Amino acid sequence: MPIEVDRRTVLWGFAFGAFRLGSIVAFGDLLSAPAFANGQKVPLAKVVILVDKTLCSGCRTCEMACANFNTSGQNSSSHARVFVEKECLKGNYQPKVCYQCADPPCLKACPVGALQVDRLRGTYARIIDEKICIGCQECIKACQQYFRPPRSMFDLQKEKSFKCHLCFGDPQCVKFCPLGALQVARSEKGFLVGYPVIKED
Amino acid sequence: MTPSGGWVGKILRIDLTTRKISELSTFEYVPQFLGGRGLGAKICWDEVPPEVSAFDSENRLIFATGPLQGTLAPTSGRFVVVGKSPQSAPVESFTRSGVGGHFAPELKWAGYDAIIVQGKASQPVYLWISDQKAQILDAQQLWGLDTYQTQQMIWKIHGNKTRVMTIGKAGENRSRIACILTDTGDASGQGGFGGVMGSKNLKAIAVRGTGSVDVAKPQELMKITHNIQTLFSRKSVKGNPYEAEEKGFKYNIWGGGYGRGSLSLLPGELLDLCNEPSSGYSQNPDGCFACPVSCRSRVKGPDITNGVAFCAQSYMYLESMIHEPEKGYSKVTWQAAKLADLVGINAYELMAIIPWLSDCYRAGLLSEEETGLPLKEIGSWRFILTLLNKIANREGFGDLLAEGGQRAATKIGGKAEELSFIYYPRAGKFGGFREHWIFLGGFPTGYAVPPLALMWVLDNRDAMVSHSYVSMLWGAASTIGQDALTAVPENIFPLLKPVMKAVYGSEEAAEFFGPDGKSLNWNWTAPVVKRYHEHSLLKDSYIVCDILFPYIFNANSLDHVGDLSLESRLYSAVTGIDMCLEESFQKGEMLCTLERALAVRDGRTRQDDVLHSLYLEKEDAGGRKYLGEDLERSKSEYYGLMGWDVESGVPTRSTLERLGLKDVAEGLELKS
Repeated sequence: MPIEVDRRTVLWGFAFGAFRLGSIVAFGDLLSAPAFANGQKVPLAKVVILVDKTLCSGCRTCEMACANFNTSGQNSSSHARVFVEKECLKGNYQPKVCYQCADPPCLKACPVGALQVDRLRGTYARIIDEKICIGCQECIKACQQYFRPPRSMFDLQKEKSFKCHLCFGDPQCVKFCPLGALQVARSEKGFLVGYPVIKED
Repeated sequence: MTPSGGWVGKILRIDLTTRKISELSTFEYVPQFLGGRGLGAKICWDEVPPEVSAFDSENRLIFATGPLQGTLAPTSGRFVVVGKSPQSAPVESFTRSGVGGHFAPELKWAGYDAIIVQGKASQPVYLWISDQKAQILDAQQLWGLDTYQTQQMIWKIHGNKTRVMTIGKAGENRSRIACILTDTGDASGQGGFGGVMGSKNLKAIAVRGTGSVDVAKPQELMKITHNIQTLFSRKSVKGNPYEAEEKGFKYNIWGGGYGRGSLSLLPGELLDLCNEPSSGYSQNPDGCFACPVSCRSRVKGPDITNGVAFCAQSYMYLESMIHEPEKGYSKVTWQAAKLADLVGINAYELMAIIPWLSDCYRAGLLSEEETGLPLKEIGSWRFILTLLNKIANREGFGDLLAEGGQRAATKIGGKAEELSFIYYPRAGKFGGFREHWIFLGGFPTGYAVPPLALMWVLDNRDAMVSHSYVSMLWGAASTIGQDALTAVPENIFPLLKPVMKAVYGSEEAAEFFGPDGKSLNWNWTAPVVKRYHEHSLLKDSYIVCDILFPYIFNANSLDHVGDLSLESRLYSAVTGIDMCLEESFQKGEMLCTLERALAVRDGRTRQDDVLHSLYLEKEDAGGRKYLGEDLERSKSEYYGLMGWDVESGVPTRSTLERLGLKDVAEGLELKS
């Protein structure tokens, strides 16, 4: 699958990478990376969540919206797929979202193919098919190599991994973020974001 | 109806004397008493008899959350601390103190709706609660540390996701005006519960939870939350939720007269520094858990103490702005508030103590030699540093001030005591709390509004802490372009009429004074205050924010009518228990009567529901007065509406039984 980075992607990269958080960076010359050993490529995500941490008030509404939406009403920070890391005394708040990496370590690490690209919803998010997941936590380990805390998490009750799936294209954390620190970006051509463009945060 | 969400089901009981840790079921108290202030009041009724004093080891220190805490419900980060208050003066009596921040959800996720602390540890300890487990741990290393250091130490041990409620030096030394602080500025201030915590040798409570709070109707909760966000939030969520904010939208806090980040309202040195990117200073709005508004400011800078601040702290040391007017709100003003946080003193009480000291000094009643305080330079950094350290360490004159302004003034007596009356409006045996909006626009320059006077005589702490009514007045004033502090009341009557009709049942309630402009209109005072109390009890028991709820005044609509059903709908969505508005008001009435019974058991009667005569003698900016006989008549009417005995102000047996408080009725009779 040929990958092009459109102008808009690059602009997002400047706007959010250089001046704001550094979460989302897009560079045109890193295009060769996304591939499996057999040559199969992972299509880029067409929807991503962007973070402007300077707007974050640390209220954690995003965490609650996520947990409430994605469980049967179990409201808890530990069920959320997005979290606000806070250094209270320093006054640094950092919302941590899944980047839907261009070359997703989690997806490549999954031994059973439970990690997939959500073509059905058109978001191309990296999602976990619960029915296939065997709970080996390889995806978590893979993510953790680059991003802490890992954006793939383990549900102790279900013994399965779970991660951000962009709420079927309408991310609730973005919808409920009262200050607009979280935003959503859509591009038919996809975004070259996350690993390997940024390798840690 | 059985709840299917909200409460997590257990109350933790810690006996520090015997080091016994036990649990009881929350459902012994709820849904009848809801949570928070209602739950705490009932526990106090059952466990804290009148003869137990505030610093007695048998006093209970109760940290109570409500059904909404730890969920998506907007402003569900709050909880209340209740118990017998050392600040209430001269008689120590039950009161409550709300706290924001992020402690409450963590407690719920750890599996507890409330903590009851009783007894007294033989040496300093702290409490570590994590996922259904509690431990009493040694805190000798923490004793003496300031509130920030204590939290840093605990984060080192238990991880930085732990939320901590801690006292500073003032609490350790049993100051009656000590607060309990969490994070960098959220605190239980009024009531002096920090002193109670210190008297139990309990330095801190640390909580970390990874569990969850079940919500009965998650989709319904999202719908209401979304609705509330459209009412309060800056982001326009009409149509495209990803669109930027709508132009001209007013945040609906203080009726639209106020917005995000309180520091942005305070021009001066500090704000200038924050607005200059190269200075290294910055300020951002900061939100309590699940807050749609974020009214507070998070301030950082190279040579100040970082942290969040909002009204009370922001305004604590206004003397510094008089001392150095060219600087306005300066680094000193900020650092003074932070110093109060670090040593753990209730900033709101300092707003009475500092001006009172200044008055006494100017009247020649206190001298620098006698007090050891640099009274000549009130407003300077040296003054506040000396004052706060002396209070926190109970050193010299600070020992007296650590008893709270009213107790200190009484002890000095004479003219100095008289000078304190302006700051402590409630006479009788149940005062001790600083003046807070007894006139629209403040005392003595504002306007008399009869319900404010009645609210003040009846409350068990400072009355206007439930901001709903005042926010409405303020909102109406700012809508027509007036400053709340200088509003001309007759101009806001037309705006208030539809709002008052919707909330209190009458348009006439909006007219505080007669057409002649001279006599106050007391006609609707009692029913308005009854409804105000119901609102207040409910929001403190579901536990939502004082500043947002009840939502009375909508600054963005033409008729300005708000929506009173928001809290009960949140409650229904979270717990699965149907609660119509009318039923919720009955619950509010019941809880208000329960609180009254607690005060009555401590000795409160009609004679204690009075203001210092100063407040009746002074004319407001329009030449009107709160006349004593009017106030007395309104009191009678209020007691009558509540079903309390008109002569004594005591809830009658039949009323208590009607409200389902038979045991309270029996307890009260036993007493008399």
